[in-house]
Amino acid sequence: METVGQQLIITAIPALPALVFLVLALFGRVLGENAQYVAILGVTISLVFSVFALLFVAGIIPGGGAPIEFSKPWIDLGDGGVFSMGVLIDGLAAVMLVVVCFVSLMVQLYSGAFMEGDRRFSWFYAVINLFTASMLGLVLAPNFIQLYIFWELVGVCSYLLVGHWFEKASARDAAQKAFLVTRVGDAALFVGIIIFWSTTGSVGFEDISQAAQAGFVGGSLFTAAVVLVFVGAIGKSAQFPLHVWLPDAMEGPTPVSALIHAATMVAAGVYLVARTYDIFVQSPDAMLVVAYIGGFTALMAGTMALVKKDIKRVIAYSTVSQLGYMMLGLGIGSYTAGVFHLYNHAFFKALLFLCAGSIIYAMDSYNMFEMGGLRRRMPITFWAMVLGGLSLSGIFPFAGFWSKDAIVASAYEEHLYVLFAMALLTVFLTAFYIFRAIFVAFMGEPRTEAARNATESPGIMTGPMLILAFLSVVSGWVGIPEGFGLPIRDYFAAFVTPSDFATETLQLEEHAFSFLLGGVSVAVALLGIGVAYALYVQRPERSGALARRFAPVHTFLDKGWYFDALYGATFVRAASWLGRATLGFDRNVLGSLVGGVGRGAMGTGGLLQRLQGGGVQNYALFILLAVLVIGVIVGAQYAFLVVALVAVITIAAFAVGVKL
Amino acid sequence: MPSQVQGVLDALVASPPLQAYLIVGAIMFAIGAWGVLVRRNAVVIFMCVELMINGVNLTLVAFADFLPNAGGLGVSYAVLVLAIAAAEIAVGLAIVLAVFRSRRTVNVDEVTSMRG
Repeated sequence: METVGQQLIITAIPALPALVFLVLALFGRVLGENAQYVAILGVTISLVFSVFALLFVAGIIPGGGAPIEFSKPWIDLGDGGVFSMGVLIDGLAAVMLVVVCFVSLMVQLYSGAFMEGDRRFSWFYAVINLFTASMLGLVLAPNFIQLYIFWELVGVCSYLLVGHWFEKASARDAAQKAFLVTRVGDAALFVGIIIFWSTTGSVGFEDISQAAQAGFVGGSLFTAAVVLVFVGAIGKSAQFPLHVWLPDAMEGPTPVSALIHAATMVAAGVYLVARTYDIFVQSPDAMLVVAYIGGFTALMAGTMALVKKDIKRVIAYSTVSQLGYMMLGLGIGSYTAGVFHLYNHAFFKALLFLCAGSIIYAMDSYNMFEMGGLRRRMPITFWAMVLGGLSLSGIFPFAGFWSKDAIVASAYEEHLYVLFAMALLTVFLTAFYIFRAIFVAFMGEPRTEAARNATESPGIMTGPMLILAFLSVVSGWVGIPEGFGLPIRDYFAAFVTPSDFATETLQLEEHAFSFLLGGVSVAVALLGIGVAYALYVQRPERSGALARRFAPVHTFLDKGWYFDALYGATFVRAASWLGRATLGFDRNVLGSLVGGVGRGAMGTGGLLQRLQGGGVQNYALFILLAVLVIGVIVGAQYAFLVVALVAVITIAAFAVGVKL
Repeated sequence: MPSQVQGVLDALVASPPLQAYLIVGAIMFAIGAWGVLVRRNAVVIFMCVELMINGVNLTLVAFADFLPNAGGLGVSYAVLVLAIAAAEIAVGLAIVLAVFRSRRTVNVDEVTSMRG
């Protein structure tokens, strides 16, 4: 990437949404609901530029074919080195750019109708654009410092958007929770960055990787730093044990959930691991941690989603679970499959959230057991959600199948059978919970008046849903494995590849596409759909009976494995104890100190007040005495004489005073 | 003429030494200060203040005479002090008159409305 014009185009990708943020933040009041047109214009141009970057990196535009890389020094530390701001677009970043811009565009189109009449309409669009800009900046970052800046910006935006309806106490709490829980991860990431910087003297991804290869940092310190970076990813991507914020973040407006879950927020964690993959592969222990955290999270979140009544929470737990898959994929070394799942997931998860938003728009309820029979009232939403659900479940030949099957199959082929079992069980759970939600919401008879009167959402909402539904089906077709027998290339695997170094370090065997494993995974998913059908469509009373029979299990899952209660009893309680102790110290110790100084001044003043008797002659006496005292001090050599004089005059004065 | 008589005449004609002026000035100042501290009548207090001022003036003039190198600075100070004393008396007596009109007394022990 040589020319200034091309560099400007690349810089404009994150700069345009940031500019839109400024415009909307300053002139939002004037623009009102016209803010959406400004925002959509900005993100559309960003999308066009992103596509340009993708085509350039892919070599379709002449002159391209190599990663785009340039940077400018930002903070010069002298001998300490230089922090630079720059751009690194390889296949991974190019795909992410397009996905982020595209999902953001869909969400912004959809929000125009969904958020109509909202009190802070233009502010909503402003923050959505800042969110998009932050994520794009994060994707472009070639070093940890730049990444960390945008990483934190993403966190701030999620706080603002989750708490968009801050009049509601639950939204405020959810926003704080999202911010604080991810902060735990951010702090760990920062410590990791500092370790890397202090040992290698650089914050660039490539530099750190090479310094580690050269042995500047290694052993347990290196593993610790890599795991700390991964803890940052855990926080952002809502992995166990920092997953608790994501379901609560459903308090935000539904388009925001779509954006957070598909492209901007939770994807950042997975992206971080993928971006720093050359560093991760050098620590096999850290890779195992990534794989097991991912596998366990996938299974755990899958079980939590089984019993939720809130349709958005089902999808939220599904995100946690699917992110677990991506981490699992990256951890076991199938880099391409993990990133491929991130890419496919963006489309079908955005679609599912927009469908849920469409239902909420129509009947103003989150509880799926207040819905029912919506299939006839909202056919477009129904079919879009079914397509999204099939893709999420990993049914052949929908997009989700290709990436999910690749992850599940490579877990088996790497002989990690525990992880394989977890992944396969999660396939069953995924298919079950998403079709449970679809069946309960859309099939059967309407359960409430609102459900009976629901109508299909306007075209500006169904339009993006249909586009995303189309992509949920076909997005995976760019990555059909060569071994599948179709006469098309595996474009994705050719484009998003781990570096040669990572491939050598991992020393993975090539495995041909396994029809057996693919068949097993589809069969398990179909089984999940079948069980959901049996329990919620054929004999709805059975599910209730089952829940009552296993009531403790049901409650355990419904409470999210009591993680909230556990954290409430430990960290939250400890934090509030610390807060109370600090408040007590402030009030009692510091407050007393300050108050004491004040009271001391008052007391001294009260004592001195008596001297001011109002008698002019007393004052004159004081003046005289003071002059004599000064005389004593100045004329110290005559001190004895003067002291005697003062004493005589004083005694005389008092004698006279008494007499008069 | 006997020498003793001559000596007395000389002493009378010759100017007195500096110490004499200073002692007189100090005595005037002390009497004035004593009066300011112990008298109750505001008018008398003012008179005592004048006495203090003039005691100081006397020392200033005496120094001016005995220190020719000072270039008469002491005398000009004395003139300045006289002018200020006149102004002070004008203001002070006006205050005393105003106090007398409102309270029918010039006893400073009874004028203590500035008690803190």
